[in-house]
Amino acid sequence: MIALRRFLRTPEAVAGALILAALLAMALSAPWFFPRDPQSIAGPALLRPFQDWTLPLGTDRLGRDVMAGLFHGARASLAVGLAAAAGAILIGAVVGTLAGFAGGLLDEILMRITDAFQTVPGFLLALAFVSVAGPSLATVIVAITLGAWTGPARIARAEVLSIRERDYVAGARVIGMHPLEIAFREILPNALPPVLALSSVIVAAAILTEAALSFLGLGDPNRVTWGGMIAEGRAVLRSAPYLSIIPGVALVLTVLGVYLAGEGLVETSATRRMNA
Amino acid sequence: MSDFAISRRGVLAGSTFLLASTALPAALRAQTPTNGGRLIAAADSEPRNLNPAIIASNGVFFVASKIVEPLAEASFTGKDGLEPRLATSWEGSADGLTVTFKLREGVTWHDGKPFTSADVAFSALQVWKPLQNLGRVVFKDLEAVDTPDDHTAIFRFARPTPFQLIRNALPALTSVVPKHLYEVSEIADNPANTAPVGTGPFKFAEHRPGEYYRLEKYDAYWGEDQPRLDEIIYRVLPDRAAAAGALEAEEIHLAAFSAVPLADLERISKVPGIGVISKGYETLTYQLVVEINHRRKELADRKVRQAIAHAIDKEFVVKTIFLGYATASTGPVPRNDVQFYSSDVPTYAFDVAKANALLDEAGYKRGEGGTRFALKLLPAPYFNETKQFGDYLRQALAEIGIDAELVNNDAAAHQKAVYTDHTFDLAIAPPVFRGDPAISTTILVQSGIPDGVPFSNQGGYANPELDALIAKAAETLDPDQRIALYVDFQKMVAEDLPLINVAEWGFITVARSSVKEVSNNPRWAVSNWADTWIEG
Repeated sequence: MIALRRFLRTPEAVAGALILAALLAMALSAPWFFPRDPQSIAGPALLRPFQDWTLPLGTDRLGRDVMAGLFHGARASLAVGLAAAAGAILIGAVVGTLAGFAGGLLDEILMRITDAFQTVPGFLLALAFVSVAGPSLATVIVAITLGAWTGPARIARAEVLSIRERDYVAGARVIGMHPLEIAFREILPNALPPVLALSSVIVAAAILTEAALSFLGLGDPNRVTWGGMIAEGRAVLRSAPYLSIIPGVALVLTVLGVYLAGEGLVETSATRRMNA
Repeated sequence: MSDFAISRRGVLAGSTFLLASTALPAALRAQTPTNGGRLIAAADSEPRNLNPAIIASNGVFFVASKIVEPLAEASFTGKDGLEPRLATSWEGSADGLTVTFKLREGVTWHDGKPFTSADVAFSALQVWKPLQNLGRVVFKDLEAVDTPDDHTAIFRFARPTPFQLIRNALPALTSVVPKHLYEVSEIADNPANTAPVGTGPFKFAEHRPGEYYRLEKYDAYWGEDQPRLDEIIYRVLPDRAAAAGALEAEEIHLAAFSAVPLADLERISKVPGIGVISKGYETLTYQLVVEINHRRKELADRKVRQAIAHAIDKEFVVKTIFLGYATASTGPVPRNDVQFYSSDVPTYAFDVAKANALLDEAGYKRGEGGTRFALKLLPAPYFNETKQFGDYLRQALAEIGIDAELVNNDAAAHQKAVYTDHTFDLAIAPPVFRGDPAISTTILVQSGIPDGVPFSNQGGYANPELDALIAKAAETLDPDQRIALYVDFQKMVAEDLPLINVAEWGFITVARSSVKEVSNNPRWAVSNWADTWIEG
């Protein structure tokens, strides 16, 4: 409760949380407000926004409802962002904990693998993976996860290295706990908070990466995504700029919201820790 | 890059000169071509191999046709739609076994060597017939080329070959390459493939990958007072949105092959000093085609194919996807082909109810969620329009209870999936009609084509009756009989729907109005531009 109150006291965190809530509401209500396939043709092509109130944000080059696309696109963006971040943190935490706790050869091997992944820019990795595996929502999530797990892995390892020397870990060893049990029940939960602090950055980056992949035509063509909408609108940028601007603004707000909310959370937990 | 921008100072100097010369009557001055100047055109692709004798495709021709010339070029006014280039006359024998070409005299290659009938014989037998994508079909029965003198080439065919077909093939298939450069090494990796040497009005100067191609005027060109231009630069602008901006900023003069997106044309046509031209692509008609994999049992049923044809609103496709810059198709030959087109074919009006009834009749009732069956749809990635039509077709199929899953691939993966691996149910292709069905249209429906041949029937369709008709037309010499056979061919294809022809379109050229003699022949963008000039 105290944490919540403290969280609410930071205005940027509140703003972020509000944006995220709105986004979530959009994503959840999409099938209810727009039960038809958002890619179905709903009206005349290239209708400008605020002309026809049944199509408030207008239509694109084929006459698809931009508003419906925006709502359904929120689902794709959020799904990719959250799934990729969860995947990255899970893999990163496990790899980091194993490497930090086991040390020695295993540590070397795991960290060199991490290095290898880190030297390749995440976006290039995602691009290569999607080109080979074929574009679909699942491959896009895996592709982004591939490039994003290294950060959490390094932070988890660093935390584990310091935690494993603590007394309670020695205690656990003395009472004969299995090393893996020590690693994942005693050490990991304590190593997790700084790793989780990375999550907002990862979510934001994942949403942007997904948009960039869709923009390049490597998104799932059977789903509406904001990146895909921007790419579609690019051909008519000069005559119908709203087609790129609307999803672009949505993208900016989302990334901003995720980031602000994440910052707020980190801030809140940091003050709590300092107070404790 | 900025080296090639039209500088403001240059424009000002030019206009001062014009002011000074106002003594000339304005109308006369507008008619008199001026020599010199540099034309800058946008290139959206960047082929490495620039040998049009091997790769007869528009991407290569766009640059190479200024350097390497064919025997004859397409023409709006000439007899049989042709005008002479390296050949001055052509004549077929009554038995269809020989074609005699008289060649132009006084023509030299860019390296100074004389052009002779030996070059034509070499090109025909060593390049067009064995190596060229289209020549393999048209020249398959070419046995020998006799060269009684330096300026006569007599093509000898093992089996009767329609002269009409050879004639229609002249502009695209007969680029002549120099024997003395190609006979010394392997043709496929000859250096002249990337730095071509020809007889055309422009010489190849340099290619900077990712930046530009540069062609220079060939002073000893055979055409009188040609070429007008000193230089042609092809600026590589792969981003279609960039071409319009570059035209407005006067960085380029010309964007051909619809490099400016269709949706931008209305706006740019109002910009002063820029013209939008839809002429000049008459013999390069692209067709929007739904390719069908007949190995799928549902699609092997003619009723299902008819249902799909009825589900497509061709008017919507023409108006919304092509913004009116296309025509709805009736069959495998485009309407603008005066020789072969026939409107006497079964047509499929847009009728969703009828399409649903046909599918019910075929035994594919709607299951749960209203879906009859699912299939994979692969739109070709080459054009915006093919991709947009993919989005549209998916929706159109949803209306009749067919759940289509779109699969997007890059060009290489798409060709492999459709033409080699056959891992598609429906695909969207943009084949080109090249003035004669036998050049590149009949192979879209003919059976027995090996796997991996792009833009051919890879859908497993086999119709012995249609195959027999195609074979008969291929050896029919009488032009009228040949046309009659192709009318039957159109009827049969439209009736049985081995593929569905949706629309056909030519491209749009956007040029600054200072560029003159634009689009003055039916394949202007891929012709030699010898008479093109720049005002001022």
